Amino acid sequence: MNLMPSRPDLQAESAPAARPAPAIIEIDHVSQVFQTSARQDHLALSDISLTVGEGAFVSILGPSGCGKSTLLYIVGGFVSPTRGSAKMKGRAIRGPGPDRGPVFQEFALFPWKTVLGNVMYGPRQQGVEPTEAEAKARALLEMVGLKGFEHFYPKELSGGMKQRVALARTLAYHPEVLLMDEPFGALDAHTRTRLQNDLLNIWERDRKTVLFVTHSVEEAVFLSDKVVMMTRSPGRIRQIVDIDLPRPRRRSELLLDPRYQEYVVEIERMFDDTDDGGLKP
Amino acid sequence: MTSRALMARLGPALACLGLLAVWQVAALGLNSDSFPTAMDAIRAIPSILGDKDALINILASLRRMAIGFGAAVLISIPLGLSMGRSRTVASFFNPLLMVTYPVPKAALTPIIMLWIGVGDLAKILVIFLGVSLPVIYHSFEGAKAVEEKMLWSGAAMGLSAAARMIRIVLPAALPDILTGCRTGLVLALITMIMSEMIARQSGAGNILFNAMDMGQYDTVFAMIIIIGAMGISLDAAFEAIRARLVRWSEPQFDMPLSFS
Repeated sequence: MNLMPSRPDLQAESAPAARPAPAIIEIDHVSQVFQTSARQDHLALSDISLTVGEGAFVSILGPSGCGKSTLLYIVGGFVSPTRGSAKMKGRAIRGPGPDRGPVFQEFALFPWKTVLGNVMYGPRQQGVEPTEAEAKARALLEMVGLKGFEHFYPKELSGGMKQRVALARTLAYHPEVLLMDEPFGALDAHTRTRLQNDLLNIWERDRKTVLFVTHSVEEAVFLSDKVVMMTRSPGRIRQIVDIDLPRPRRRSELLLDPRYQEYVVEIERMFDDTDDGGLKP
Repeated sequence: MTSRALMARLGPALACLGLLAVWQVAALGLNSDSFPTAMDAIRAIPSILGDKDALINILASLRRMAIGFGAAVLISIPLGLSMGRSRTVASFFNPLLMVTYPVPKAALTPIIMLWIGVGDLAKILVIFLGVSLPVIYHSFEGAKAVEEKMLWSGAAMGLSAAARMIRIVLPAALPDILTGCRTGLVLALITMIMSEMIARQSGAGNILFNAMDMGQYDTVFAMIIIIGAMGISLDAAFEAIRARLVRWSEPQFDMPLSFS
């Protein structure tokens, strides 16, 4: 199996014929320093350059504390980088915007709104008429498997259901890029698997660009076109691996596919080789 | 209705009856002029509520209380919320609050009255001070606890900083804010009576303390019952409103459905 290491800033060349998709996100020499105390600085990200092609599903994979979520927050515009810049469609990112929709591990639903109210929130904010926003929200809720739960409050839902609502809420305002921050990290294994399958089905329908942060190798390989491996503190890009598995992917087929297994084993081995102690925190 | 539900419904009434019974027995036992029996006190209530002057006095008290409470809530909620979301605002106001919180408002009352007189304004100001602190404090705590990611989600939908404050921080902190308001409401009643005790011109407190001076102890205790009843009714009314507004955060909703 050939996992050609590709240079982070030149990954278009790693698969020249297959993906001529134009870049949608460009991260250019980004570093992030956090001040942990008055005299102590912590370098969370060090000189990250990464280009994400339009319509690609890209996972950022790394151990806890490698700054992978911070990288996502920089693309979201929630955090500004200490050095370097991030661009969305060629324009510098200066703050959050509806072109980049986040889905957080903590769900971050509005607890005072019903499920329907949460999903309608973005479209209403954009000036969509209430009846139209509601019809849209109902359709999305049906798509994520929550038909019948429209009038429940977030507190009445399980973790998996909350994350389905959060996904629908973000999809409702049509972001061009989905920013998923360990979205299934707080869920039990069974729920996690179901949500991965559902996300893949939804994604394979409209192929939005997805930037997906995770620390699970299986999850990254199962979902992605490209896996960006990061090293622990300070976070650097260790390697970018193209996942050349056919789509649409079916879990039952993929788990038996030796190529899938090889990707997983190979990526895990590469993490174990690094002197920072591998993937486990 | 099951017997348990019936008990829950009747509980408060039974507690009041019990209290009155203990009072009655104690007063009969002590047999003191300054401690009328519960029956005597209750018998004095209709004559107070039937008296036009007394009613005007009580309504004047309630009016001052409503103004003081309303103004305090209108100012304290935005202040508390901005303190909770801005370190700069918090670092400025926090020391001020920490200094004023433990100072008894009763101690400030004579000073305020010395400055601005014993009229309505002074009394309203005292009520305002009494109500502000718990409302600011709870709004502050509530705003501080609002999840950052919830605000980010709003920002990604295009909400400006001001819109996030009103449409995310305010509703998210509402359970805490209303807890502060409920405490504030009881404090409004207390400071209202207290201000009228110090500046005796009108009001429910005035009736009470005038009766005390004249040795009309059944009127004194009748007024205590009336003030207590006002407190209970205001609190119950507020609680009904509060429960409706924050139904989404109530503990009975804590049981998640078993569905992924």
